[in-house]
Amino acid sequence: MINRDNLVRSSALAVRVAAIANGAFVCALLLGLAASWLMADRLAALLPGDDLAEKVAGLRWMMALGLAMAGGAFVVLRALGGMVATVAAGDPFIAANTDRLHRIGWALLFLQLLDIPGYAIRWSFPALGSAGPDAGLSPGGWIAVLMVFVLARIFAAGTAMRDDLEGVV
Amino acid sequence: MPIIVTLDAVLERKGMTLTQLSEAIDLTLANLSILKTGKAKAVRFSTLEAICHVLDCQPGEILAFERD
Repeated sequence: MINRDNLVRSSALAVRVAAIANGAFVCALLLGLAASWLMADRLAALLPGDDLAEKVAGLRWMMALGLAMAGGAFVVLRALGGMVATVAAGDPFIAANTDRLHRIGWALLFLQLLDIPGYAIRWSFPALGSAGPDAGLSPGGWIAVLMVFVLARIFAAGTAMRDDLEGVV
Repeated sequence: MPIIVTLDAVLERKGMTLTQLSEAIDLTLANLSILKTGKAKAVRFSTLEAICHVLDCQPGEILAFERD
């Protein structure tokens, strides 16, 4: 019981820390985007070469992609936080958690699909070189998407069974 | 619900309280109250067996069916 409580508490803490890190990531990206326009001269000094305009445009697209990723991560973390809270309360088999799992599944699918604009940025802005988005295919991510949707169905069945059991003496 | 729980009458006949029965069959008083007041959705055979064993009665003495 103590181990389980610790696990729930650690999970809640990890989700909170990740949410804060995600928020900081968004702030950094917004600052970076603003700086790419407001401090263009300094950027020119930081990025030497003839293809400065391409590099700056590529960086802006990368930051926009980062914002989209942070949006997906926000949905995942918010839903996960809600689920962990219900586990802590001792009543996780509720319909709201099935909805949360669905939301996590869709958000993970969205994050996986962001590989496509990642490829596009890498292909469109070769001047970025190794700084371009790492747009490698990740089978693990696709399996995770599938797994979350299957888990949502299992959860829905579990919730229905729990509803049946309620009121059984 | 057309299923009527007549546990009260059997308890009175046997001179037993709900608390004593709950202790005897190791079921919480809250759950036994749910059964007694007819709010239970279902009854486990094991619960029915324990009640019948302690009250020395038949399931038909605790449960009755009434048409709407």
